[in-house]
Amino acid sequence: MMQIIIQGMLLSGLYALIAMGFMLIFSIGRTLNLAYGAYIMVGGYIYFWLSQQLGMPKIVGFGGAVAVGALMGLLKHRLIVKPLKGDPVAVEISTLILAVIMQSAMVLAFGDASKILLPLIPGVVTVAGAQVTYNILAATIMSWVIILALYAFVRGTHTGRAMQAVSMDEKGAAISGVDPDRINMITWAISGGLGAAGGVFFASYTQLSPSMWVAPVIISVAIVIVGGIGSIIGTLIVAHIIGFLEITVVAVLAPELRGVFTMVLIIGVLIMRPQGLFGREEH
Amino acid sequence: MNLRPHHFILWGLFIAGMFLMPELVGKGTLRTMIFACYLAMFAISWDILSGRTGYISFGHPFLIGIGAYTTGILTRRYGFPVEASIPIAVLVTMAGGLIVLLPALRIKGSYFALVTLAVMELMYQLVPVVRPDLTGGTRGISRLPALTRGAENGYYLAVGLMLAVALMAWLLMRTRVGTALWAIGMNEESVRGSGLSTTRLKSFAFLVSAGVAGMAGAFYAHYLGTITPRAFFDINVLFQIIVAVLIGGAGTIVGPIIGAFFMVFLLEWLRPYLPGQERFFVYGLIALVIYMYQPRGIMAIVEGAWTRLRGARS
Amino acid sequence: MTMALEVRNLVKRFGGLVATNDLSFDLAEGESLGLIGPNGAGKTTVFSQVMGELRQTSGSIALFGEEISSLSTAQRIARGVSRTYQVPRPFSDLDVRENIRVGLMPDSLRAMIFGAADRDREDELALSVGFTRQDLDRPASELSMGDLRKLEFARTLATGAKVLLLDEVFAGLTTGEIAMIAEVIQDLRHRGFTFLMVSHDLPAMEPLVDRAIAIERGTLLAQGAFADVLADEAVRASYLGVA
Ligand SMILES: Nc1ncnc2c1ncn2[C@@H]1O[C@H](COP(=O)(O)OP(=O)(O)OP(=O)(O)O)[C@@H](O)[C@H]1O
Ligand SMILES: [Mg+2]
Repeated sequence: MMQIIIQGMLLSGLYALIAMGFMLIFSIGRTLNLAYGAYIMVGGYIYFWLSQQLGMPKIVGFGGAVAVGALMGLLKHRLIVKPLKGDPVAVEISTLILAVIMQSAMVLAFGDASKILLPLIPGVVTVAGAQVTYNILAATIMSWVIILALYAFVRGTHTGRAMQAVSMDEKGAAISGVDPDRINMITWAISGGLGAAGGVFFASYTQLSPSMWVAPVIISVAIVIVGGIGSIIGTLIVAHIIGFLEITVVAVLAPELRGVFTMVLIIGVLIMRPQGLFGREEH
Repeated sequence: MNLRPHHFILWGLFIAGMFLMPELVGKGTLRTMIFACYLAMFAISWDILSGRTGYISFGHPFLIGIGAYTTGILTRRYGFPVEASIPIAVLVTMAGGLIVLLPALRIKGSYFALVTLAVMELMYQLVPVVRPDLTGGTRGISRLPALTRGAENGYYLAVGLMLAVALMAWLLMRTRVGTALWAIGMNEESVRGSGLSTTRLKSFAFLVSAGVAGMAGAFYAHYLGTITPRAFFDINVLFQIIVAVLIGGAGTIVGPIIGAFFMVFLLEWLRPYLPGQERFFVYGLIALVIYMYQPRGIMAIVEGAWTRLRGARS
Repeated sequence: MTMALEVRNLVKRFGGLVATNDLSFDLAEGESLGLIGPNGAGKTTVFSQVMGELRQTSGSIALFGEEISSLSTAQRIARGVSRTYQVPRPFSDLDVRENIRVGLMPDSLRAMIFGAADRDREDELALSVGFTRQDLDRPASELSMGDLRKLEFARTLATGAKVLLLDEVFAGLTTGEIAMIAEVIQDLRHRGFTFLMVSHDLPAMEPLVDRAIAIERGTLLAQGAFADVLADEAVRASYLGVA
């Protein structure tokens, strides 16, 4: 029981982190940005490359992953989203193409086989009778630190509030003196960085493989939609619902059914309540 | 689309060329073309729904997979003859798609795309673990009965099916239903405001699309002889289908065919220079560049060049 | 006389905002009614509720004596009511003729697949709202605002509805075009069509309506003859900004 609760908290924190980065861009264009999966995957691989293959300090590997993720976000906005003028169908499709390109790039650079990431911090601690690796614990704590920092940033800084304004009403924001273009770029970069950070943790939680991005991207999109677009609290709640659901299924039923129930939940909720569990109805 | 005499002539030449092909090229090329034909059918199926109405389906591999698995299970596990198993596969695909994806047509845009993607992922995770005695688990089903012997006959079958599917789609899209589906892609509220039940129209497009996907998937499974979850419920399959449509030209009949052949042969041509995984990387980049340059695909690029050429001459 | 449209105690709330406030009015068959009110008064919202594009919070809407509140938009159109949109919503890649074709389509898959399009009727409708023969093959994306309004009107006519809700049909049109559309409306009135019209161009609307009602913030201010409604104190205060 304790095991489930602790494992559930840990996985949920991870999902929340991944979902946050996605939420930032989804609340701007409402487009299904599959390339977000590419940030997750590339983040994991860059970390692997820097810290495990080149033997650099882990923090450098992590920083490198975030930097590359942010750069990818920027490039994606500059080279693809802007030229397509936000046409949602075209953006959606181009992100699919981009994600698959990045996937083959990773196969090209690192091979097809999946890789195990060494723990960020080795060791195991026993919390209330449950075995928890420092690695997972660190990942969860980092997730929460990042989530809280993001929350503070969006709520507390000028740029953060401008981001919110742009996501609600781009034209309105432009009239009141915000440069939506600049804000969009910042948002895409932050989102890319968050995706890459999430990717490092996610890969160390499961494993690193070129096709590892599909499930987390579906889950993060779903968390954002089901949680109500733009609602940070809703996102956190749904991340926990899904995290606990998965851990419970693994513990009680069978590990290989883990993703099945998540997908069923996602499909069910999206069809029954497309406005999400905590979102307002949109017209 | 207005028909001109030169359209008929071009189609006549194309069909004649396709049927003469086995005389002209080797077995290897023929196999490549067979794959292109099936990809073209998948692409036409996708285009009937997504290319017209703008409801992007990320779940077509799911439909194709149901068709393949149904006929695989029926013939290998229950000893059905293919004459029965393929039609059943088509019906099961339509029914399965109906139950799972149809409710999703009520929701819009990205949400529809997401639900279809989740359905594909669900199948990928579900098929190996549920009743592995039927599905063969991760290893899939092998030794499906072959429909034809030799590459040549397999080729004729594939070309024949592709042309039949193309003709059917063409006839359907010429009717007012075709216009209405297209109109949905441009402005769904206006179609509703014109007194049409858009849900019924979308469902219809979806059923036709699923039927074609199921049929092509079933025939493809028998051609391959082996089916595995990875070969069907995979993002790369989805990628190839969508790219074929977009590179060729969405919302047309020739577009998906041209796109499928172009992409399949591009991959073949790249093989001598880039034997490894680089090929897929380059292939993806080329697809992205063409798409960014002209989202309406090769058809529009050719048309544009043609008009410019004629404009220059007159 | 049968009532084409009976709206009773209609209420529509958007969160805290009351867009339609206990509104009741009748529209007799063959009658033409002007609906006036300042920007944001709730005119378009009334149309959307009659068409079923928005669900009313409470109240009832009857068409030719039948309650239609539970019907879909397509079913309402099939029963004879149709509208134009204030912001035209054309099918931009379809040409003028095809745009009208969508309006003419019967809501039956079988008929749509096996029946042929009625080209003569398409052309006739297009010409009747003022398109020229050369315009028929032009894609909607190339049309001017005025042309788009004509197209919107033609597609609404094409649905075969006898009760037409026109939202700002004259906005963006030249004087010549206004005269042309007005003539079409007059002709349809003689043929027994029923109209509910919204327009900020009061002089253009006046000869086209039998009666007017004025609303503000979703609430009925006055109704009666056009001139009387305009002369009403409350209407002048709200609408014309004259105290
Ligand atoms: N979908 C909606 N959600 C929330 N509020 C809405 C919605 N649609 C309209 N409103 C509000 O309802 C009120 C009435 O709007 P409506 O468009 O019906 O006015 P109108 O009389 O047609 O104005 P105009 O002359 O500018 O066209 C306005 O305050 C508007 O902001
Ligand atoms: Mg209005």
